[in-house]
Amino acid sequence: MTTLAADLRAFAATVRKELRTVRRYPTQWLGLIFWPVLLPASYVLMGQAFSGSDARSIAAFAERSGTVEVAGFVFVGFAMYMWLSTILWGPGTALRTEQMRGSLEAVFLTPTSRLVALFGPPAAALPTLVITFVVMGVAMWLLFGVALPLDGVLRSLVVIAFALPALYAIGTLFAAGVLRFGEIGPIVQLVRGLFVLACGITFPVLMLPGWAQAVAWVLPPTYIVQDIRAVLLRGLGLGDIAGDIAITMGLTVAFAVLAVVTFRVLERGARRSGMLGRY
Amino acid sequence: MEEIRAALAIARKDMRNLSRYKWSMLATVFIPLYQGVIPAFLFGAAFAVGGRVIGLESAIGTDNLSGFIFMGGVIAGLVATTFWSIAMSLRWEMDLGTLEPTWLTPTRHDTILIGRAIFGVGQFVVSQVILFAVGIAFFGLRFSLDIVYAVPAVAVAVVAMLGFAYLLAGIVLLIREANFFIDSTNFLFGIASGVSFPITFLPLAFQPLALLLPTTYAMDLLRQHALGARPLFDPALEYVGLIVTTLVVLPFGRWAFARAERSMRVRGTLGQY
Repeated sequence: MTTLAADLRAFAATVRKELRTVRRYPTQWLGLIFWPVLLPASYVLMGQAFSGSDARSIAAFAERSGTVEVAGFVFVGFAMYMWLSTILWGPGTALRTEQMRGSLEAVFLTPTSRLVALFGPPAAALPTLVITFVVMGVAMWLLFGVALPLDGVLRSLVVIAFALPALYAIGTLFAAGVLRFGEIGPIVQLVRGLFVLACGITFPVLMLPGWAQAVAWVLPPTYIVQDIRAVLLRGLGLGDIAGDIAITMGLTVAFAVLAVVTFRVLERGARRSGMLGRY
Repeated sequence: MEEIRAALAIARKDMRNLSRYKWSMLATVFIPLYQGVIPAFLFGAAFAVGGRVIGLESAIGTDNLSGFIFMGGVIAGLVATTFWSIAMSLRWEMDLGTLEPTWLTPTRHDTILIGRAIFGVGQFVVSQVILFAVGIAFFGLRFSLDIVYAVPAVAVAVVAMLGFAYLLAGIVLLIREANFFIDSTNFLFGIASGVSFPITFLPLAFQPLALLLPTTYAMDLLRQHALGARPLFDPALEYVGLIVTTLVVLPFGRWAFARAERSMRVRGTLGQY
């Protein structure tokens, strides 16, 4: 068996193991319905209170966000929030869980690629994410009457395909932190907060002060959420957002290189200090 | 007297625990800011016309956006303290395996909860003072000094929330996976109390439920005194609603907690998790 085939088998086994673990905790599935519906719905109601359904308020919002569809804007933003949470937490949490169980050292001693340990568990979260997106789409339609066009949904899948590597690269960067610091929960909380604030997830980027907007435009999630909104809510084609996709790919390469270098350096340090077996 | 000493000792112990985790201390201020205040403020400001949130003005009678959000944060903080710092903390003690030895001490079991409530309310007051300072410095938070007239309403709401803390503590001791229960009910309780938007924007079917919560009245009285917001009902009637719901929930919560405790002793689940 070639190394690649063996790694793929190990990857599939990791995904199977994670899915089996998730299946053992059925109450977690309640969250799959609860949060994707009620979190954005509460924001939409907040938007109704702030706008008072006044045409001038809605026009002001449209000028800043690019769409009059407040519910659509909010639901797409929160879908990005859930996705970002999974990706940012995913690889790091996977390593941290192995570290706390005392099995990280053993996993790193196997001849499988590090990519298996890093991306196997987050890949197992993909079906959950798909369910989350479907639930949000249905809730948006049933509760607020916003039906997403099929061609827009297909175009958004293309955007997601380009976005995945960028988000996994950021996730890997955080995972590397586990090897150095162990518990990175509070740091991830902080960074996730900054991403939520900077990337226009719950409000238009234009609302940020100038310096914060400058930061926003070097973060891939800003382009990703903006492009998904553009194809779903404004009916733009892929050609219209090609520039953004090119920038996202460029940022992906930058983040990926940074992540690989950081991971290698910190892993070497963890092997020397014995951090792999501690927590 | 001994019970007061025990309650204060529990509050001191919780304070000492928190002081050992600097990030957690920062999080008590940082998380409400980045999860609640800043996104809500910038989202609301996106609807502003000529610098005024005219929609909010037509909804509650004032366009003071930052005031609306920060006052909502006061009641949201109180609710979160009840759900997490008081009720859920018993569960954490259970997970650590220290609940049974604590239960075996000659201290009344109510005292254990009250000690945590003292710490929780203290932490809540300190974090609100810091949040208000941040609001005044960076978010243009302005409010009337008449806010002091709302202090009795918030104080009664604190007592009411102790009743809810008893009730929730009883539930989290009985169910195995309490995290989702506390997280989701905390969220729903805050929304139904009107912390994020006036309850008149809730679907009609849920509005009567909101009127059963003492925090709904406390929220309305606080915004009315601090911001001059239009109240839902006559303020005197709101005080009656606040006091009546408090008088109902406090004994009911204590009764439910006692029942849950008895059930745990009979089933022997005090030392399990």
